[in-house]
Amino acid sequence: MSDLLRRKVGVVACSGEEIAEGSVTRLAALRVLGYLRPDDTVTICLPLFLAGGEGDRQFARVYPTIAVDGCEKRCAARAAERYSGKPAASVVVDEIVAQAGIHGVAGRRQLNAAGQQAVKATAERIALLVDEILGNAGDHHTAALETPAPDEGLQAEGETTCSCGSGIPVQNVLIGGEMVTFIALPLIMQQFRAAAKVPDANTARELLDTARIYTAVPDGADEAYASALLRVYTAFCEGQEATA
Amino acid sequence: MSEPTQCVLIVPCSGIGKPFGTVSREAAYEVVEDLRPNQTHLVALSRLVMGDVEARTAVATCPAITLDGCKLACATKMVRECGGSVMRGFAVLDVYRRHRDLKPHGIARLNDGGLKLAHALATEVTAVVDSLVAPSCPAEIKGNSHV
Repeated sequence: MSDLLRRKVGVVACSGEEIAEGSVTRLAALRVLGYLRPDDTVTICLPLFLAGGEGDRQFARVYPTIAVDGCEKRCAARAAERYSGKPAASVVVDEIVAQAGIHGVAGRRQLNAAGQQAVKATAERIALLVDEILGNAGDHHTAALETPAPDEGLQAEGETTCSCGSGIPVQNVLIGGEMVTFIALPLIMQQFRAAAKVPDANTARELLDTARIYTAVPDGADEAYASALLRVYTAFCEGQEATA
Repeated sequence: MSEPTQCVLIVPCSGIGKPFGTVSREAAYEVVEDLRPNQTHLVALSRLVMGDVEARTAVATCPAITLDGCKLACATKMVRECGGSVMRGFAVLDVYRRHRDLKPHGIARLNDGGLKLAHALATEVTAVVDSLVAPSCPAEIKGNSHV
């Protein structure tokens, strides 16, 4: 599979510095990114949605995202939805803490024991959501969750932050009178063609499932989108055969 | 010079990918919790990003000092985007250039060098706070360091 199309999940932590739960989101995201699911996740820095410009928003659009919020304000979820697309999943530390029966999370600067428990519970929830989104359930040994996370491991000093997005091919497709831009569709079709997938109803469904990882499909529009993708893929295959 | 103020906002970077972001947060916490708790207030960048009314009002009415972890300077940009006045924007990398012996390591937990670098930054921030706050402000805690 193309590296570009390697399925990853973007983790957007609110990182709210004013409250302990904000620190929990940051440390839980680090645990997932650096240890629990390092090959399946990338981080998306919340302020970069604005400060980083379109390139960072494009980066976020290419990956399904999990928003991790410390409180009911849900800044991360709302920012992801506003600037890239609706998150594939959303977690709130307050809710996880309540469900796990953890009491007394405190210490925005240095989390107390309950805060550390909250980090672990939140990280495990995020990891499970990553598996669900990527269809990797069962691929990771749960015992790994018990091992302390390494402190380092995200980026070496000097690496470019969020070097991403630019150059990702898109394709416009007319669906129901509206032009829809599919991110990475040319690469998806190349991949399908290389796998000798013939243009039929089953392939249309697979195309839709893959395309929706990178491009939002409105509720109730699956049939129209699948039909349009099949039409485009059929033309793509015919073009490939003609030039062969 | 502008009129003395009663409170200064401290807005650190929210980055989670590099030690410099952690240094900015640690320095911010040291200022608002240890060094100048009565004159400073921490504002989370995420609240500004989403246009939280309370955070934006605070930024619009109080001078701010921003602490950025990288050249993208998200904290400084966001405060200005919200109509705030950045009285001084600190870049952790600039502070590190002045303290080459304090190389930060660790994101979730800073090494000793990182903590000392944060303390050096916090000291510089405190000096700016002192130049901004009104003389009638409550006596601040002086000479209080944790490193």
